[in-house]
Order: sequence, then structure tokens, then C-alpha cells
Amino acid sequence: MTLFARRPQLRWLVPLIAVAVLASAGSVAATITASARDPLPARSAAQLLVDVQNARVDGLSGTVVQSASLGLPALPGPSGDQSSNLSSLVSGSHTLRVWAAGPEQARIALLGQLGESDVVRNGSDVWIWSSRDNSARHLKIPADAGHSRADTPTPGQPTTPQQAADAALRAITPTTRVSTARTAEVAGRSAYELVLTPRDAATLVGQVRIAVDGATHIPTRVQVFARGAKKPAFEVGFTSFNPSTPSSSVFRFNPPPGAKVTQGMVGGADHSPAARPQDAGTKPQLVGEGWTTVVKATLPQSTEGSTGRRSGEHADGASPLGNLDAMVQKLPAVSGAWGSGHLLRGTLFSVLVTDDGHVVAGAVAPERLYAALAAK
Amino acid sequence: MSAADLTTPVPRVAMRRPSPRFLASELRLVLRRRRNMAGLVVLAAVPIFIAVAVKSTASQPGSDAPAFFQSITENGLFVSLAALTIELGLFLPLAVAAISGDAIAGEANLGTLRYLLTVPVARLRLLGIKYAAIVIFSFLATFLIAIVGMAIGLILFGGGDVTTLSGTQISFAAGLGRVALAAVYLSLALASLGAVGLFISTLTEQPIAATIATVVFSTASFILDSIPQVHWLHPYLLTHHWMSFGDLLRAPIAWDGVVHGLYLAASYGLVFFLAAWARFAGKDVTS
Repeated sequence: MTLFARRPQLRWLVPLIAVAVLASAGSVAATITASARDPLPARSAAQLLVDVQNARVDGLSGTVVQSASLGLPALPGPSGDQSSNLSSLVSGSHTLRVWAAGPEQARIALLGQLGESDVVRNGSDVWIWSSRDNSARHLKIPADAGHSRADTPTPGQPTTPQQAADAALRAITPTTRVSTARTAEVAGRSAYELVLTPRDAATLVGQVRIAVDGATHIPTRVQVFARGAKKPAFEVGFTSFNPSTPSSSVFRFNPPPGAKVTQGMVGGADHSPAARPQDAGTKPQLVGEGWTTVVKATLPQSTEGSTGRRSGEHADGASPLGNLDAMVQKLPAVSGAWGSGHLLRGTLFSVLVTDDGHVVAGAVAPERLYAALAAK
Repeated sequence: MSAADLTTPVPRVAMRRPSPRFLASELRLVLRRRRNMAGLVVLAAVPIFIAVAVKSTASQPGSDAPAFFQSITENGLFVSLAALTIELGLFLPLAVAAISGDAIAGEANLGTLRYLLTVPVARLRLLGIKYAAIVIFSFLATFLIAIVGMAIGLILFGGGDVTTLSGTQISFAAGLGRVALAAVYLSLALASLGAVGLFISTLTEQPIAATIATVVFSTASFILDSIPQVHWLHPYLLTHHWMSFGDLLRAPIAWDGVVHGLYLAASYGLVFFLAAWARFAGKDVTS
């Protein structure tokens, strides 16, 4: 202490050292655990795809963080970076907790600040809970509709995982370079990565990286990078992952007293809270191919009518597209030889809504959209 | 360098058994002050006001009401949580800032600090006692709100099974445990703000300036936390995980945010306490 007595200024080093130690403690721990792991054996893209299809776990639980920096303007309506509203997933960062046990039990909880939305499936019962609205929606899955759609192979489709993997790779190879990496780390676990790089330089998408857990072969992270970007524009992945069957109490749901309970059947549009605007218009038309495909569609004449119908379908009262018109008007106005309209320019895609009711969208720069419009 | 510092080597004194007498006299000093008692009464009045307001209004709180308000009519326990949520924005930080800002600067302002230091007490130990009193006050303020809220809530709305944020129900005892956990978590979070206040209090001789600066610190932290453009900064903000106390009311409990919040609170507490020591141990006390 005589040192501090002689040079009192040196005392300030103590809190500074504490800051340095505390700030680095997290990353040091991560490095130690990372270096302690064995490297994964090499796998080709086809092998990896087969692994993913063969992956079967009895159950899992974990936390998924989804973050998007798509360069979208702030959307009017339900906002806030940690909202538990299910329709708010388009911007900002969100945390979900997931549990699954077998094919019949699953639960997803979207965590908001002091709020939560849950989708719980337990056998043939599905509950959708919103703590914000204090409401629970009960859906029944018809006994025969369970998993026929996904599991029964239709004629002409690949029947083995190997065939399916080969077919998928054959289909995308002309437009995409496919490679694998085995150095990724997701939720503190070693993972393979399937790296898809578009061959066409005109698309805004630079790379898509899909991480596959090294031990369970379950896809654990998807990242989409804009061209030239170091950080992903869209990312969804596990931050904690536990491949063991969660307790069955997690899937038990009884609506609490006082909650608004509505009943329904599975089917219809209930599973797509973010219905795309193109759905409501005439049949969309595709221009170009591969990564630079541009979707062209016509908006319905009366936006009012369609949003009214849609919010009725959703029965959750708050249609995310209720103020579509107002939103479009806030976008920057553009014009050219093709006409005039409003442009939404994101990091991964562009959407152009013309004043005469057409909408064109694609993972391309706006110039491509103008060209697609001119080509009609 | 003061005589007290040179004659009593700091580490040896600091190792000495903490004196409960010193702490007790400090606590008595804090709690007997008229202004501090008035502050605690204001803190306790908020849950009573909330409960009476909800009870006397015919229409139930809708989904645009603040968090936990909707659940109050179902279970009186939620009055505690609603009051804590509301007071966490300003009242609780203000109370802790008032106490911690006063800790050193108040003594200096009254001219009692130099007398305090003439008795053979190491400055580190004096700071330790001051900080211990701040931590105890944080717990006192938080639990006062929780207990008053629970009492008035149970009287006006009754108890029963508690609905978690996940929509499932837990027993009243378990719910009580969750609320107690939330109160402990918030107390520790506020105690870390108290360390910031203690540090600022060593910088000035004006207690009101230290209090205002501490409130500005917590409010600026809240504001920065709500600006998405600086999201890289958010994990390091003192208040970032405060609202994670809600995670304790999920089923099962989501510990991530709470654990991060505790680590952050401990870090802020340690760093600012050390900074307060660095400043105070070498300070020439003239008043």
C-alpha cells in the first residue's frame, strides 16, 4: 500500500484492470471451450444433406435468436425491438425458446419484454397464447391430417435421402456454388456449414450459410449475407441448444382463468401471420431465373377490402398489413421510363410498388426491377 | 495524503471483522432522515394507488395497459409486479441515487466528513460501510414496494394460482417465490446503480449534484437502450437487463437475461466501488 500512498494516481489502475478483466472474461471462457473441442470429420455437401434428412432426435430444447438488419424503414404500428407480438418478426432482434419432444409435442415461445407469445402443440391440440392480449386460441388438428403431407412420398419424387440430396444439389448447382465448412460454432457446439454462393453477381445476396450441428445433424443456424457484407443481414440460430427430451410439463397448456379463449380448426391461413401482399393480387409472374428472379404481380384494386377480409381470417384483430397503403406512401418515390412508384430498398432485396398498382420484388438492385417492368 | 491513511495501513484494517455497530449507526442515520422516510412513503404509495385505481374503475385494463395491469384483477400478487415495473423507470433509481449521492458528498457538505475520518477508520472500510448501507436500502425499497403491493392486492383482489407470462399456472406459494426472486434481482440491480452513485458522490461536495448525476446516468442508460441504432452498446448498459426480471415469471424460467443482468450488476458494482476507492482514498478531505 506504500506504493499507492506515494503515487495516489496509480489507484485508478485498479478499477481499470477490473474493467479489462470483466470485459474479457466472457470471450476468454468461449475461447477455452472452443479450443477444447475436437475438429469435425470432413463431409461433402451431399453427405451433409443426407445427414440432415436422417437426423432424428427424441427431443430438444433451446433458445433461438433471430436478428434482421434488412435495411427496412421503421414500420408503423407494433414496434419496439423486443416485442412479443408474433407479427413483429420482420425487424430488429427477437428471442424464441423452443422445445420439442417427438413429432407430436412442440412449443415455441416468443419472448418479449414482460410479455410472451406461445404456440404449443400437444398431440392434436394446438394452443396459441398471447400474454399481451391475455388470449388463447385453441386449434384442433384432425387425426388424419397429422403428418401425411410431409411424410408420404408422391410418385416421381425422390424416395431416399440420398436421392433427395442429389436432386437438390443438381437443381441449384447451375446457379449456385455449394461448399462446406466445418469450423462453425453454434450455441457452443461444433457445427458444419453448408455455404451457398450465388454465381450471378447481379443479386444482392452474397452468401447463404446454413450451420448443421456436428453431433445431431440438426440445422442450427441460417445466415444470409448481403454481397460484400461482413455481418449477416438476416440470421436465425440457436444460442443455446440441448438435444435431450424436455419434461412433458413444458407442453401442457390450459388457458388461465380470465383469458379470452377462441376455438378453431387447423387449416386455412392461420399459420401465415405474415401473408405476402402478392397473395392477394393476380397470379404473380416470374421474370429471370435463379437468384435474380424478379416477381411481378398486380395489387388488388381495393386494398381496404382485402385487408378487412384478411384481418377477419386472422382473428387476432391486429392485421400487420392493415396500413399497407400508408406504409407504401412513406417509401421514397421513384420514377423512370417504366412509370413511377415507391421503392423499398433493403440490403437483401428491393420491392417496387408502382402507382398503377403493380408490385415487383426480387433479391436484386432496383435497376433490375425497372428493367423487369419495362420488359412487360 | 491524510494522516488517517498513513497511520492505518488500509489492507490490514479492511481485513478486520466488519463492525455491525458502525453499519447500524450508518443505517440509522439513513433511515431516520425525514426526507428518506418521505421517499419510502412515496415508493409505498404507488402500489396502493395502482390497486385502488384498478379496483375503482369498472372497465378492465385492456391490452394497451402497462405490463401486468391486466392480471391484477385475476390475482392481487400482480399489484407488486405492476408497481415494481412502473417504479423501476424513475422512482426506484431516484431513491437509490438520493441515498448513494448523499453518502460521501453529504458528509462533506455538512462538514462531518473530516470528523468521521479523524477516528481511526480506514477509508476503504468507511466506503464499504457506506456501500453496505446503500445495498441494504436498495433491498428495503424494493421489498417495501413488493410487500405493500402484495398486501393491498390480496386485500382488494384476493390471491390464488398465479398465471405466468407463458399462460400456464403455478401455485400461489410458487408465485410468491417468483415475486421474491424478482425483488431480489431488482434489488441487486439497483445496488449496482448505488455503486455508481457512491463513486459520483466522492467526486463532489454537493450531494444534490451527485444525486442528479446518478439519475442522469440511469436515465441515459434507459434512453440509449431504447435507440436501436446503438444496439452494439445495449449489452453493456447497466439498465439493459433490468426488465429481464419478467423472465422469472415464465414457465419454465428463462435464466439467460437474469444471469447476464446479475453479471452486469456485479461488474458495475465492483468497478465503480473500486473507482470510488481510487478517488476517495487519495482525496484531500478539506471539509
